[in-house]
Amino acid sequence: MKLRENIAGSLILAILTILVLLPLLTVLIQVVCPGLSLEELNLGNLNLVLDVFVRPLWRRAFINSASMSLCTTIAGLILAGFLAQIRVKYNFPLAKLLDIVSWILMIMPSFILAQGWVFFASGNGIARSWLHIEGMNNFLFSFPGLVTVMVLCKYPMAYVAIKSALEWYPARLVHAARLNGASPFKAWTSVQLPLCMPAYFSAAMLIFMDTVGDYGMSSTITAVYSFPTLPYTIYSAICSSPVRFDMAGVLSLYLVVMIVIAMILQFYMMGRKRFDYLDSGTEQVVPKKVSRSASALLSAVSGIFSLVALGIPIGSSFIMSFSNSFSIERFAFTLDNYKNVLQPDGALLEGIRNSLSLAAVAAVVGLILGFAVAYTLTYSQFKLKRLIDMLTLVAMAVPGVVLGIGYIFVWNQKWLQPLGLNLYGKPEILILASVASAVPLINRVLVGGMSKVPQELLVASQVQGARLGKRLKTVLLPLLHSSMVSAVLAAFGGSVFNLAITTILYPPNYSTLPVYISDSYNDLNFGYAAAATMVGGAFIIAIMLLLEFILNFGKRSGHADNT
Amino acid sequence: MKRILSLGLAACMMAGLTACGSSQTETTAAADQETTTAAQTTVQESSAADGTPVQTEPLLVYLNDFDGVIGDLFKEATGYDVEVVVGNGAETMSRIEAEKSNPQWDVVWIDSMYDVYNLSKDGSLLIGWEPENAAGLTEFSKTLVPDNKCFYPTGTHAAGVLVYRSDMYDETTAPKSIEDLTDERFAGQVGMADPGVAAPAYPLAAEIMYSMGMEQGQEYFSTLFSQGLKVYPKNPQVVQALASGEISVALLQESNAYEMVDSGEPITIVWPEEGAPGSTRVAAINASTDQMEIAQMFVNFLLDPDTQQALVNTGDEGFFEPSVEGVSEKAERDPEATLAVADVEWGAENEADIKAWFADMSIQ
Repeated sequence: MKLRENIAGSLILAILTILVLLPLLTVLIQVVCPGLSLEELNLGNLNLVLDVFVRPLWRRAFINSASMSLCTTIAGLILAGFLAQIRVKYNFPLAKLLDIVSWILMIMPSFILAQGWVFFASGNGIARSWLHIEGMNNFLFSFPGLVTVMVLCKYPMAYVAIKSALEWYPARLVHAARLNGASPFKAWTSVQLPLCMPAYFSAAMLIFMDTVGDYGMSSTITAVYSFPTLPYTIYSAICSSPVRFDMAGVLSLYLVVMIVIAMILQFYMMGRKRFDYLDSGTEQVVPKKVSRSASALLSAVSGIFSLVALGIPIGSSFIMSFSNSFSIERFAFTLDNYKNVLQPDGALLEGIRNSLSLAAVAAVVGLILGFAVAYTLTYSQFKLKRLIDMLTLVAMAVPGVVLGIGYIFVWNQKWLQPLGLNLYGKPEILILASVASAVPLINRVLVGGMSKVPQELLVASQVQGARLGKRLKTVLLPLLHSSMVSAVLAAFGGSVFNLAITTILYPPNYSTLPVYISDSYNDLNFGYAAAATMVGGAFIIAIMLLLEFILNFGKRSGHADNT
Repeated sequence: MKRILSLGLAACMMAGLTACGSSQTETTAAADQETTTAAQTTVQESSAADGTPVQTEPLLVYLNDFDGVIGDLFKEATGYDVEVVVGNGAETMSRIEAEKSNPQWDVVWIDSMYDVYNLSKDGSLLIGWEPENAAGLTEFSKTLVPDNKCFYPTGTHAAGVLVYRSDMYDETTAPKSIEDLTDERFAGQVGMADPGVAAPAYPLAAEIMYSMGMEQGQEYFSTLFSQGLKVYPKNPQVVQALASGEISVALLQESNAYEMVDSGEPITIVWPEEGAPGSTRVAAINASTDQMEIAQMFVNFLLDPDTQQALVNTGDEGFFEPSVEGVSEKAERDPEATLAVADVEWGAENEADIKAWFADMSIQ
């Protein structure tokens, strides 16, 4: 058993090493070995690692990234926890809207959301010109404004993870607490909340990593009011001439250090306690009916929240998609952007086709790998599983442009050519990179689900003679159905809009949807870029809804239990 | 045991990678020294009976503009195929740098003159070659060709013309020169793109520092920073800030400025009398390309007046001063417009320092 676990763990570690660690190391090692040339080896360059204490920009970027990510994580966790609680516990008309809004926000790249916020809040934006709300620009381009936008952009991952955990109720334990005199609130804080700790920690890590590595928001909002972040500074290092991969490597190292600190903190707080509670005493939570006034209040809260979180950024882009102007103040209605976008031979449709193909493969491969990673982390005794956990987080936090450059170093080797493995310049490299980006999210969502399933259930079926495949098929997968659907949809949606990696790695004459949108924006075709976002986004959301319907079809009709 | 195996596997791959990087660097360096000979041999080997080179794969061009037209233009003129990889200056240079052990590109054609010049220092570029059409270069463009002839300019556009919101200023109150921007009445109103991120913004900062002298240039920007200069990542964000009223004065890339005027925004363009800092688009050939003759034909093609006229006529990307004689500029462009470009060697040598200084200053 242990030998098999070690073999499986080693295999997963090897795959993650190729997908994440090796590309990252090729960039990090540039600090002492520029161009990966042993002749240039100079250990004295390690001094660069300490430049965070010397260069004002680096110091500020480190502090800014840490403080922004920390504040976003705390606020995002509270928001996601609150929304997940009311969504799971209560039955009210707009409950489903919270799910839809979260899913759309989760797959939308941050640069598009940030752009929407700029259209809304900038000097002559929608807020001032149409709604006559003064001061929105001062708020947006400030630390509280930035954190607010970040929270609204990053909470969905945490929402999905927490909601998935809350859907099961440790009825027997809660009843025991109540019988011993605990109030409902006391029972929640002393029984239910502690049992959901893995989901909350998972959610916190997701928000933190996604925020600390975010470049889209950095380049759109933070850079505008002199609030440099690590991703933005990394990008500046890469823009230096000669290109300073060593500096990008050092700055990426700081991100890795943050991940390690966050992991140590998580380990320290969770320790080796057990959090599985899914057994015969567990019940699926059925949303309670509430009074009419409470239902109206919950619906109003959900509606207003959805309007702010999704309505403002996407609505602003939607409005801009009907104009050719640079600002809302000079809005002039036109359908030209949509006519151009929807041309049958247009580049957008090709970009969508390419992005969908990439995302489909990345989601399937990512799901298999992410499942294996989550299984290892949850049930295996493999000694290096913390390293596996760290690698998945690294893939999320390190900016795509750094990983992309690492991919060029790894996959553009002459000796790989005879083996047919020189993948740089081919679409296959985008699949590998997309899988690397998709695995962290898939893994986190599945770990949240698996942590509730006691290992005893798997052991019991093993004792009955079930082999691994049978155990997964008859025990784990049915219990994880909801988490699996969430994971695959998130991976699919996220891969479609993965900009950073596709920008640096895309092959000649091969466009993807996010590259297309970004190029249109850089060419000042703001309305056209907005229209392309709307069309592309609608396309992808429709496919995701269809997928969700198909994947849940059997389960809905069969009333199967799931997590 | 398994842990050791796992670590060993990763270490072996890393070592292999590093060793390969090393050996390939050596190979590349050696190959660079014999570039011209090797290229000639390749061309001879792949030449048809009539002496024209036979193309075995499309010419791969890394560029940041004109991607929609240049392939078809070249194909129409020569019959050879071109594939393009579009990216901004930073992404393109990162790709080239990361590919160094196994370059994929044949020609780079971007408005990052100083970056491209730096590439020639390690033997990455074909040097010492002069295309036939270089004879038609304008006097201004001739001065931009470096001594080692590692690239040729195909046009220069203003990296920063002065623009101001005409609903905030009139001709009497608006800035007339770049130095005017330090006037206190523009405090908190001035914006520009980040020289550390936007490709055209470095030539802008470089020219200011070059023409004023490094110390005075730094003092100039220090004053602007102390008065609330807003630095945006790229020019599109400067456009948005101007359009939304976040700022009312900017140093803006000329094509963006003309687009703003064209779309009806209340923007007035001022061409500084001392010359607007220019960003030069240059074309250079990979020293180790296996399609040397076709790559040379491509660069020569870019210096053809008919090609440059076609590029001028393409639309918004056509706002530039052509590098060869006999090309008409866009009608909207000020016929009196003058450009000033920092010396290529000076700009290349000081690029890292200027960008680092600018980045550190911008947060203080």
